[in-house]
Amino acid sequence: MSTQESRERAPGALDLLKGLGKGLATTARTLARPAHTRQYPHAEPDLPERSHGVIALLEENCTSCMLCARECPSWCIYIDSHKETLEPTTEGGRARQHNVLDRFDIDFSLCMYCGICIEVCPFDALFWAPDFAYAEGDIRNLLHDKPKLGTWMENVPDSALPEGYVRPGDPATPETEE
Amino acid sequence: MTSRDVLFVAVGLITAAAAVLSVTNRRVLHAGLWLVVALGGLAGCYLVLGAELVALVQLLVYVGAVVVLVLFALMLTRSGAGEVDTSSAHRWVAGAVGAGVTVLLGGTLVAAYGWSEREVAGPSNDAIGEQIFGTWVWPFELLSLLLLAALVAAVAVATTGHRRQEGER
Amino acid sequence: MELPLTVEIILKAVVVLAAFLTLPLAIGQTEHKVMAHMQGRLGPMEAGPHGIAQLVADGIKFVQKEDVTPAAADRWVFRLAPAVALIPYLIALAAIPWSAAWVAADVPASLLFVLAVTSVGIFGTLMAGWGSGNKYSLVGGMRAGAQLVSYELPMVLAAASVAMAAGTLSLTGIAQAWSWWWLVWQLPGALVFLIAAVAELQRVPFDAPVADAEVVFGPYTEYSGLGFAFFLLAEYAGIVVMSLLFTVLFLGGWSGPWSDTLGPVWTLLKATMVAILILWLRIAWPRVREDQLQRLAWVVLVPVALVQLALTGVGVVVWG
Repeated sequence: MSTQESRERAPGALDLLKGLGKGLATTARTLARPAHTRQYPHAEPDLPERSHGVIALLEENCTSCMLCARECPSWCIYIDSHKETLEPTTEGGRARQHNVLDRFDIDFSLCMYCGICIEVCPFDALFWAPDFAYAEGDIRNLLHDKPKLGTWMENVPDSALPEGYVRPGDPATPETEE
Repeated sequence: MTSRDVLFVAVGLITAAAAVLSVTNRRVLHAGLWLVVALGGLAGCYLVLGAELVALVQLLVYVGAVVVLVLFALMLTRSGAGEVDTSSAHRWVAGAVGAGVTVLLGGTLVAAYGWSEREVAGPSNDAIGEQIFGTWVWPFELLSLLLLAALVAAVAVATTGHRRQEGER
Repeated sequence: MELPLTVEIILKAVVVLAAFLTLPLAIGQTEHKVMAHMQGRLGPMEAGPHGIAQLVADGIKFVQKEDVTPAAADRWVFRLAPAVALIPYLIALAAIPWSAAWVAADVPASLLFVLAVTSVGIFGTLMAGWGSGNKYSLVGGMRAGAQLVSYELPMVLAAASVAMAAGTLSLTGIAQAWSWWWLVWQLPGALVFLIAAVAELQRVPFDAPVADAEVVFGPYTEYSGLGFAFFLLAEYAGIVVMSLLFTVLFLGGWSGPWSDTLGPVWTLLKATMVAILILWLRIAWPRVREDQLQRLAWVVLVPVALVQLALTGVGVVVWG
């Protein structure tokens, strides 16, 4: 109640002094407490598993539909693909065409980590991974190509993975699919 | 010549040169900065002559406050960068006044003390204090009254203009 | 042992120069660390143990940087300004006593000497503000000029009160005349002096001339490399000089237990406390607006200083 009253009337000299004292007291109290800083290169940070560190590509899910490249605000995704014809598997069947991904690059020197590509991907091909320590001495090395983007899949948390996905080298048997 | 003489001549030359540069400089702000050097040099002259208190007050009041105010006014009106060109009549009159004052002061000194050397011993700080607040207390107070009047007048000039503006509104 | 005069002078000059080069760095390092911990951070940690050599590293960095003089600058004014800002504090430091014996240049009216010399330092700021050929610098320079002229008066009045109480203009004499009850007697004057000193140093809460959010560091905007380093050094040297001056004037300088042998240590200790207080204000308080700043000087500080002067006069007449 008293704070409400003081808000209503114009602050006087006493309020000023009180405020100044409060500033001194707060900083002094913080001084007496240990700092929050974590000394990063010496101590690994304790990040949540869903941290937005780097974008990982699950190549077999990508249909080269180009949605991510088109939605990217900074135009940092480069995709090349070609069509291949699958011969009909049954007699008299029809030949099918499918896209084969030749190139999928993300230029992390341009990326602003908005995550729109991950949101728009309708096929669960892009994921956030918590890795962050991929700084480079040469800016050109920040262009991550298909295999490199694939390696980031390793740390994508299980909760973010699509159902039925089995990590390479994971012995668990996949659920039976038709 | 003693080392003190040499020092006095050196400081005096610096002061005179800075004063001449201050007067002849066309850019007003540079003139103000040369004035700082000249007044500082004058303080140095006082110091060499043993008048320590006068030297320090000279530095504190003239350099530290008056010229700062002058420079402040120049910056505020943005007139410091402009080149000032005075008319030749102006220059001649100013030169004549300057030369006249120099001759008058120099003549008075020569007339009073002749060409002989004089021992200078600056008065002690206590002596100056006693003189100002004893023998010369009335002129001193009169001076402060004058400054007070100037201050009140300045406030009056500043506020009446303000009021007229408000009235017009 | 009596040393020859020239040797003694050179020795003293070297000692003062060394103090002038190390004490501001110590203050700067203290500011880094105290500010960091008051904000829940650690501050510099990499250069040396707990970042002890951070400012040395900064100095090396400044030396390597290009010294740019803007095309619109008033060349010589711009170039000279850092030196003009720095040197007065060096001269002032020489005249401040650390103990009755530890004073580099014992001039008779040393109080006036220190005040007069430090008042010259403002020309560095004014010249930088003008010479940079930059409107933010100009505005900052004008703010500095207005502020320093306003706060000079209460500062000199507060110092005059102590000089009156001690009956001398010598800093050594003032510190020797000091006794503990001056802490109460001269308290208003001490507060006025401290506030005015912070304002003269253009530190928070009186940093309107260099306010980064308003005039992008004011007079120092255009400086880079060594020129900028000199201005920074001048700021911290200013803190050293003002803290020492406050210690000698209002805290009795070297008086304390075993002051015969530990005198300079007491001076250093007290001055460090004052310096940390000045640093603390920067961390805890917001900036004062330009009109509030002028109002504080003329409506509060000058009257308080005058009252203190009257109080001192009465005290001297009654007890003296």
